[in-house]
Amino acid sequence: MSLAEIIVLGSIVGGIWALVASGFSLVFGVARVLNFAHGIYFALGAYFTLVLYDLVSRVVPGVTALILASAVACLLVGLVGVAVYVFTVKPVRRYEVMVILVTLAVALLIKEILLSVFSDVSISIPPFVSGCVSVAGIPVTYTRILAFVISITIIAALDCFINKTRRGKEIVATSQDCEAAMIIGIDVEKVYIITMFLSALLAGVGGILYAQIYAVNPMTALRVLIYAFAIVILGGLGSVRGSIIAAFIIGYMQVAVSILFASEWAEVVAMLAIIAILVVRPQGLMGVE
Amino acid sequence: MKSKTRALIFFALSMAVFAALPVAVNTAVLYMLGLAFIFVVYCVSWDIIAGYAGQTNLGHTVFIGIGAYTTALLCTSRIPHPDLPIFLTILTGGIVATLFGLGIGAICLRLKGYYLALVTAVLPLIFIQLANIYSGIFGGYEGFSIPFSKALPGGVVENYYIALVFCFSCLAAMYAFVNSSIGVKLRAVRDDEDLAEAVGIDVVKYKLLAFCVSAFFAGLAGALSVHYEMTVGVDSFSIPLMLEIILGVIAGGIGTFYGSAAGGFAIYVAKNWVLIQVSTFLNSFSPVHISDEMILYALLIVLIVLSPEGVVTKAVKYFGEKLNLNYAVKN
Repeated sequence: MSLAEIIVLGSIVGGIWALVASGFSLVFGVARVLNFAHGIYFALGAYFTLVLYDLVSRVVPGVTALILASAVACLLVGLVGVAVYVFTVKPVRRYEVMVILVTLAVALLIKEILLSVFSDVSISIPPFVSGCVSVAGIPVTYTRILAFVISITIIAALDCFINKTRRGKEIVATSQDCEAAMIIGIDVEKVYIITMFLSALLAGVGGILYAQIYAVNPMTALRVLIYAFAIVILGGLGSVRGSIIAAFIIGYMQVAVSILFASEWAEVVAMLAIIAILVVRPQGLMGVE
Repeated sequence: MKSKTRALIFFALSMAVFAALPVAVNTAVLYMLGLAFIFVVYCVSWDIIAGYAGQTNLGHTVFIGIGAYTTALLCTSRIPHPDLPIFLTILTGGIVATLFGLGIGAICLRLKGYYLALVTAVLPLIFIQLANIYSGIFGGYEGFSIPFSKALPGGVVENYYIALVFCFSCLAAMYAFVNSSIGVKLRAVRDDEDLAEAVGIDVVKYKLLAFCVSAFFAGLAGALSVHYEMTVGVDSFSIPLMLEIILGVIAGGIGTFYGSAAGGFAIYVAKNWVLIQVSTFLNSFSPVHISDEMILYALLIVLIVLSPEGVVTKAVKYFGEKLNLNYAVKN
């Protein structure tokens, strides 16, 4: 146990959580939808990749197949996200409780389907790269470093997309004031769909990276939600940058708790952190109303 | 006075029908119906906090689980404790759940809307995790059984009557609560917190009270379910159970006393009787296993999408207008 270990391993986990939580927060910020099905995208990313890899590797060998499978899986997860929005969330968006209920039902339904098809075992995805390097005296696999690099790149790209491009500014405008956005001619429905696609895709990438380092099972779909909630509450609902910062804080905390106590405690501590934050600062680090 | 008479007639009539049921149906169904009565108490106690006090508490199963584990631990030698008769262990379950209700309520006082939903949704998962960490005491994910001597003392029919009496006593108590002056103040807090405060209602006190009352009945019912089924497990904390409770209340109409009771009963019977048969039928030719949960969730999604304001409420409104019945959704 050392500080270096917590920082190195925590950054890697934090990067993955940032992918998951930024999408969750983005959807809330833009559409005011609390998507309880968000953890499903995480699990589906891993499961789709596994199934596709099995198919593609018969035609194309090795890592190419894995990269191809991952890319297609991410797109598929994005489409699932859009489908969940269009068919279940959109018809009930006016009713807050119903949105929670319907997305929770979707999450449980897909979890049951995963259980039925893949049964209750944990799966892992073969890594893109193999090998190991010493970082600050701690052996770190290339897989983890790659996961960190990928997540940081994607998060930076997301931040750039939201703040620099026209489409991104439309997303910001919609999250600030949906009606005003409509008045100046932004197709709000299109913005919602893009946001849902992005959010699911990011969670899908997170799931793939996570499944290369750890393992994913059908229950993960629900357990990821604990971290996503902890992160968005810490960062503030609707704030993407807040979520990214909070993701790393939670990542470091998770690793520290896992090393100091046991990994089962990580979720309990995350929850206690939520309560502590809420007592001190109910709107989170950078929250919106 | 009129609504009180109507309530009395409603209680008496349905009690009479259920009391006569054991003549007509077999013991397997009776056993399931007994559990349905307990489930009705879950639903109505959730309706108190969510429907009447307007706090979207998604962690109601915490209270159920706390009640269940408290009584179960008092019935086994997993922790040192005095030997208590069953009704006292059940009562203790309710009281411990009330204390947790007070604590959780105090934390949640500062939270509104989405934040409240998020925090309460995660709470049960933490208790599941704790039950797993301390599996020596709580028996891990599978939980543990209580000795036969601590089960409800009768056969299936007698236990059915115990559950029935329990359910109606709780319903009567909760009915009295929501229709008392406290209930009126709760609704005032729900409809407009600032206005309620302005007219001199102590918002903090009444929100906490609602949490405690809701938790107490949920804890009692959770505790009774342990003695009824003779086993306790993390299922009593689970998200699917929470979803079924919400489904029952919403189907019947949130904030309507009879609605949530009837809705809860219907959902429980549908899930544990009708859907099991449907799933058995589907599995006779389906290549992958189709569980009854899957059908429930799929149905739930379809129902919500088609009728977000509550199926029964909609139907009652429709037929009420058509038949010119004087049914108002009472708040």
